[in-house]
Amino acid sequence: MQRETLEVDVLIVGGGPAGLSAALRLAQLQSQHGGEPLSVAVVEKAREAGAHSLSGAVLDPSALRELIPDFRERGAPIATEVHADHVYFLTQHSKIEFPIIPPPLRNHGNYIVSLNQFVRWLAEQVEAQGIDFFTGFAAQDVLMEDARIVGVRTGDRGVDKHGQQKPTFEPGVDITAKVTIFCDGVRGNLTKELLRRLPLAVGRQPQQFAIGLKELWDIPPDRIAAGTVMHTLGYPLASDEFGGAFIYAMTDRHLSVGFVVGLDYPDPQFDPHMAFNRFKQHPFVSSLLGDGQMVRYGAKALPEGGWNTIPRTYMDGGLIAGDAGGFLNAMRLKGIHLAMRTGLLAGESAFEAIRAGDTSAASLKRYQDKIDASPVRAELYPVRNVHQAFGGGLWAGLAFAGVAVATRGWWPVDLHGEAGHERLRHLPPGTGSEVVAQPASNATTIDRRLTFDKLTNVHYAGTAHEEDQPSHLLVQTEVCSTICGPEYGHPCVRFCPANVYEIARESDGTPRLQINASNCVHCKTCDIMDPYGVITWVPPEGAGGPQYNGM
Amino acid sequence: MKIAVCIKQVPTREWQPRLNDAHTWIREQDVSYEMNEPDAYALEEALRLREKHGGEVVVCSAGPTRVQQVIREALARGADRALHVEADALGSADAFVTAESLAAAMADERFDLVLTGLQSDDQGHAQMGVILAERLGVPHSTIIMEIKVEEGTIRVKRELEGGWFQWIAMPLPALLTIQSGINQLRYATLKGIMAAKKKEIRKVALPGGLQPAQQIVSLSMPTRSKQTQMIAGSAPEAARELVRRLREEARVL
Amino acid sequence: MILVVAEQRDGRLNRATWETIAAAQALSANDMPMKVVALGASIGPVAQELAAAGVGEVVATEHEALATYTPDGFTMALRRVIESLTPTFVLLPHTYQTRDFAPVLAARMRASLITDVTGINGSGASATFARPMFQGKLAADVRPQGAAPFLVSIQIGAYRADTVKKGSAASITSVSVDIDAAAIRQKPEPPFQEAKQAVDLSQAERIVSVGRGIKSQENIAIAETMARAMGAEIAASRPICDNGWLPMERQIGSSGQTVAPKLYVALGISGAIQHLVGMKGARTIVAINKDADAPIFEVADYGIVGDLFEIVPALVKELEKA
Repeated sequence: MQRETLEVDVLIVGGGPAGLSAALRLAQLQSQHGGEPLSVAVVEKAREAGAHSLSGAVLDPSALRELIPDFRERGAPIATEVHADHVYFLTQHSKIEFPIIPPPLRNHGNYIVSLNQFVRWLAEQVEAQGIDFFTGFAAQDVLMEDARIVGVRTGDRGVDKHGQQKPTFEPGVDITAKVTIFCDGVRGNLTKELLRRLPLAVGRQPQQFAIGLKELWDIPPDRIAAGTVMHTLGYPLASDEFGGAFIYAMTDRHLSVGFVVGLDYPDPQFDPHMAFNRFKQHPFVSSLLGDGQMVRYGAKALPEGGWNTIPRTYMDGGLIAGDAGGFLNAMRLKGIHLAMRTGLLAGESAFEAIRAGDTSAASLKRYQDKIDASPVRAELYPVRNVHQAFGGGLWAGLAFAGVAVATRGWWPVDLHGEAGHERLRHLPPGTGSEVVAQPASNATTIDRRLTFDKLTNVHYAGTAHEEDQPSHLLVQTEVCSTICGPEYGHPCVRFCPANVYEIARESDGTPRLQINASNCVHCKTCDIMDPYGVITWVPPEGAGGPQYNGM
Repeated sequence: MKIAVCIKQVPTREWQPRLNDAHTWIREQDVSYEMNEPDAYALEEALRLREKHGGEVVVCSAGPTRVQQVIREALARGADRALHVEADALGSADAFVTAESLAAAMADERFDLVLTGLQSDDQGHAQMGVILAERLGVPHSTIIMEIKVEEGTIRVKRELEGGWFQWIAMPLPALLTIQSGINQLRYATLKGIMAAKKKEIRKVALPGGLQPAQQIVSLSMPTRSKQTQMIAGSAPEAARELVRRLREEARVL
Repeated sequence: MILVVAEQRDGRLNRATWETIAAAQALSANDMPMKVVALGASIGPVAQELAAAGVGEVVATEHEALATYTPDGFTMALRRVIESLTPTFVLLPHTYQTRDFAPVLAARMRASLITDVTGINGSGASATFARPMFQGKLAADVRPQGAAPFLVSIQIGAYRADTVKKGSAASITSVSVDIDAAAIRQKPEPPFQEAKQAVDLSQAERIVSVGRGIKSQENIAIAETMARAMGAEIAASRPICDNGWLPMERQIGSSGQTVAPKLYVALGISGAIQHLVGMKGARTIVAINKDADAPIFEVADYGIVGDLFEIVPALVKELEKA
């Protein structure tokens, strides 16, 4: 069967806020400058725009104002303005409110939004410009000629679980472009390939990540005012675990509740999802959620390393924007506006380079220059060391963060971070088992009303995949049946928030990694956190994945 | 052959039920939609018939603006053009109103064959296609697994209960309601998606004066009213008691 | 008056006819008379059987064009019967046959048709009807609109045939209909049976389903023995099918089939929500599991906490008695 090909001027991989902003900016520049029409295409693995988009989220509207000044008239789903900010330090039974909100966590002028709804709306704006937005197409491989990016190949469709072609088989499409803008999100599979094949990370610090778990809750009225934003630190995390929680009131009866944990905790028996459960059991939270109903669940990794971990984002024929590059402000817990801004700058850079007839790295370096001159650097550079400072523990991190705010990021040296999965400690000898996954060290009671087991939770992510396809989680399983058990106790069972990994036992006792690929919510935690680096997440057949309505 | 396929847009399989405040319909915020599953098989069957016998495939749909999503998907898979009876009210209309609106839009086209899914995954009346046949004045058959076209007639394999089947012949034009799973659904290609943007979607207004045949008084989440009866005792005792209750109380054996 | 349309093939009444009569009795609440109409070419024995039950006057409509079911033939005949008898309600069983002609009949008469009804609220002309929507995720209460007759099709198994209140033998009247055989456009051939390639669990009345508690593929044989003894189909939760121990078509749940049989026996199934959404509509649910806290017990009508390897053989023994 012939492989389809498509040639465009600009290919954007990923239809999230970064990719869609790039597309919109390209359309705007096109109508502004006229001339030879630029062909632009966006490929997105989800079945529809926004389906895989999940975030807290409190949106800083600065980039939106610049990209779409009349966003209100165009019906942007930006309804809830932040009215109150609270930051709490939690102990097991009580909470202490910070008398002064630390400046990075002040949200006056910001909006509580659903990223899923926002992305759906952005996609409508993009399609209204006549740009081809191809959903259900997963970009599988980068097409390169030497060091030049020439495009992307999408995944085959219609392959059965044994790798055989089904009658409906369609080979992946080769999309070639003068410039490819990679906006494939946190730990994007193509950006990962770029980092491997090109020296983009030379001189940069290793990337660092966190996992964010989130639920949407319907609660009885009159408990919390719409527009209330709460962040917490402390319980249930230990001082060597980085993270905290958020509660955002979209309306007075509809809450976003979530928990963020750095993927650099040392205890291999720690379970981030259990930490989320424990958080909900805190009296302050359980009284807010009690008699309410959990209506949606999801999880996604976040790029937390900051400025010094962002790789070179320009190359011959290619640019990287958004979470894929690591453009997230871990101190403010905000990344959407940075994704939008780097996206639109990438769009601008691609436009200018193509018009100049030169899409080499030297020409596309203008993207880096634009970022350096933009609010992106102004925002991220001063907090470049914050996440790394938390490597010294919660108190060191907080202290450092305080200093960083006061000095606007001045510090004599740049703190060095390490890749989070390398911080995972071995289990004490004799406690691990080759055969059985160890229980979580922070397990708590599950009542399936307030707290949930992963399998029940993941049902509410609405995740669905074509069942008859090869597993999209590529694992070198020799490790699973030999050293992982004794050394780490099979942590994949604990760090995956979707019950994808289980350790099963054959009837003769040999351990076997069982992969329930169909539960996957595309969070990328396994690709990031497995201590041996033997798990590779590749995109499943296009259109599969979660349905994050309202998230 | 001029073939029509009637396609409905319904909430996805993964949709978590939530009701509007009045409990008379679903909460439409944050719902994801997809093509009604049996309709997708009807579309595939139509495309295969066109491949075999030539002609055109026209997608017909009745619903709010959002149903463009499934119309475009059908066009992307290969349908030639579309008819859209566009009205917000059609999002929750009953089978009668839907059939009448489609009939009004489709009558002048004089289709040789009309295919619909056997029922919709939302309201599930299993009536629309058959009412449409009556309004179009054509013979019909339901729950069809296979279609053979001859000169001016068709022979179709109809599914009956309990593993029984039946072949039926009838003249064209005719309408068939299609069973799920009778073929393999093709993917929309990139070229197909791009071409779909240029294909005609004729918008038709909702005819006036249509009366629904039924009214939803209320919707609710089904609740279990019975208490679980735990049966204790040794294995033989519990087995005996369970079988007794299943025979005498529940009467399912 | 409520008119029940009986369904028969080759002189044998479909049991769903009795279920429909039970529904009609609930609807009437002793306040509306009932009649039962039977259609065919020579309908005598069927009419006798119905009359003997004494549920209401039996109307026999005979015509050679009705020897074999066709939607055109049955629609023409029933329309004449309904026009001559003027019932308020016409009740039919929600069989494949009814689905094939009832909507045409309703459309031609401009009458309301409510299908797949599982319950009746109230009685008489102000009754409303319960039916599933959104693949059983929601229950709807529906009221017919417009003028009588109101057609209603009753879901198979929603009412029990053995709850029909019988009386003394009723009379049989004949209503003759004039059918233009040339106007019947469908030419059906004789039905035939086929070993179905795909398993359709949604048709099964009884299902025995296995979960992880079955422990090995070999052990499924125990469940299959019980299924045979009960006249049930075998099904499974996802992990069993993922292991390849049973084919994917036997999977019940959010990524498999949704079923609502009369009886669902869950063996060694914990009751994860992904499985529950596929079977909680079953009329009677039996759960057997070692774990007293398994969520399956929350939806079960009958539960046994214990070792399925002891209980299932004991059940088979009981079932084989009598």
